[in-house]
Amino acid sequence: MDFKDLASRLGIDDDDFIELVELFVTTTLSDIAKIQKGVDDNSPADAAAASHSIKGASGNLGFDDIFALSRDMEMQAKQGSLEKFDQYIGDLEKMLDTIKIP
Amino acid sequence: MGNKHPYTVLVVDDNLMNLKLIEKSLSKEGYKIFCADNGPDARAIALEEKPNLILLDIEMPGENGFDVITKLKDNSETNSIPVIFLTGVIEVDSKLKGFDLGAVDYITKPFHPLEVLARVRIHLKLSIATNSLIAGQANKLRQVTNAQVAMMPTPEDHPEALFSVYYKALEEAGGDFYDILKISENITGYFVADSSGHDIETSYMTASVKALLAQNCTPVYSPVESMKMINDVLVEILPEGKYLTACYMHINRTTKRLTIINAGHPPVVYFPVGKDPYLIRTEGDILGMFKDAQFGSQTLKVSEGDKFLIYSDGLVESAKNKITWATGAGSLLPVYQKIAQESYEKIPGQLIEELFGGDDFPEDDIVVMCVKV
Repeated sequence: MDFKDLASRLGIDDDDFIELVELFVTTTLSDIAKIQKGVDDNSPADAAAASHSIKGASGNLGFDDIFALSRDMEMQAKQGSLEKFDQYIGDLEKMLDTIKIP
Repeated sequence: MGNKHPYTVLVVDDNLMNLKLIEKSLSKEGYKIFCADNGPDARAIALEEKPNLILLDIEMPGENGFDVITKLKDNSETNSIPVIFLTGVIEVDSKLKGFDLGAVDYITKPFHPLEVLARVRIHLKLSIATNSLIAGQANKLRQVTNAQVAMMPTPEDHPEALFSVYYKALEEAGGDFYDILKISENITGYFVADSSGHDIETSYMTASVKALLAQNCTPVYSPVESMKMINDVLVEILPEGKYLTACYMHINRTTKRLTIINAGHPPVVYFPVGKDPYLIRTEGDILGMFKDAQFGSQTLKVSEGDKFLIYSDGLVESAKNKITWATGAGSLLPVYQKIAQESYEKIPGQLIEELFGGDDFPEDDIVVMCVKV
């Protein structure tokens, strides 16, 4: 994961980008917890809202794989289905783990 | 420098990372940013601070963006603030609903910070244009009745601007003048001009231009846009035969971008750290004569420690020796090389000493300004 390249694409300093990534990781972990709660409470609306939040933030920073998965999760949850969400949550957490802040 | 409040933008998004990204992108371009992560706080800030523009996420828990804009528009104190929606929702119905509720534009997520910046600028410009800024400025300036020589700011007045200056007027109502514009915490404008004439009308013009600079050199306008707006007003109000040559230098010390706008003025001298000085040659029309004036423009990436010299033609021209600045500017390069290692505080004085230290008195007003990045 090339942080310099991602920062450059956004037109911001490397240090600012790292600060944003740290914030992204924190907020995404919080959103993942909300998705899990949505699954536990059988509330697709809550899961969709949290997926939407991750989608927006990851897309803005250029984390395309997290963006794609959270987009699909949002669409599925908006259609009322939480099938395979436990697996998706695990996948999201793995993707988040690959973000190694220099 | 005139008193100036920065343009303010309220950003509303329940995702803290999105808030931070926009805040960082816009604040380094001179905007003051307020943030809110929910609807009620956003409305409270809008009421308190009266931001110039609001960027508003739609999908938020509790009060969503549509609820927020409806309440803002219902309040006479906030209903005129332009609102741009930030949204990941792309359905046309949603967009139409937003426009019906009073939004002026949409930015779709994921967004690029430069797109956000461009849309903020355009909508602030539209907001200003609605208030008929140019007509208002021209009317006010026609009422100027005090023929006073404009105060020239000193380096002590503005230590953050990192400049030094040598200024000498040949007669009491000098034709040369300069000004320093604090556009934002990290953006400064430097303006040096030479007006035709040395009479009472020239003093009026100086005061008018200083007022126009304060009004038009803002984060909303690019440097060339600022000069074009000033030119448009000057064309309306200047008497026949009156005009200015000018150089406007705009430095963003956070992004290290420097822009030079040339309106028929001698070229700026660039002293890059560790390298030989050279002239930045751009050509442009003079100020105040043509409605469709075209100005020379150049933008550079600069480094800390780089120095720049802006000066009036009195430094290089000589009627006696039939030298104009177009031919004379380059002849001073050896002198610039000699003084290149001096501090920015000393360069103007050193230059005057080198050129006029003997018996050669200046034939015209002189402004020599040295600026350090």
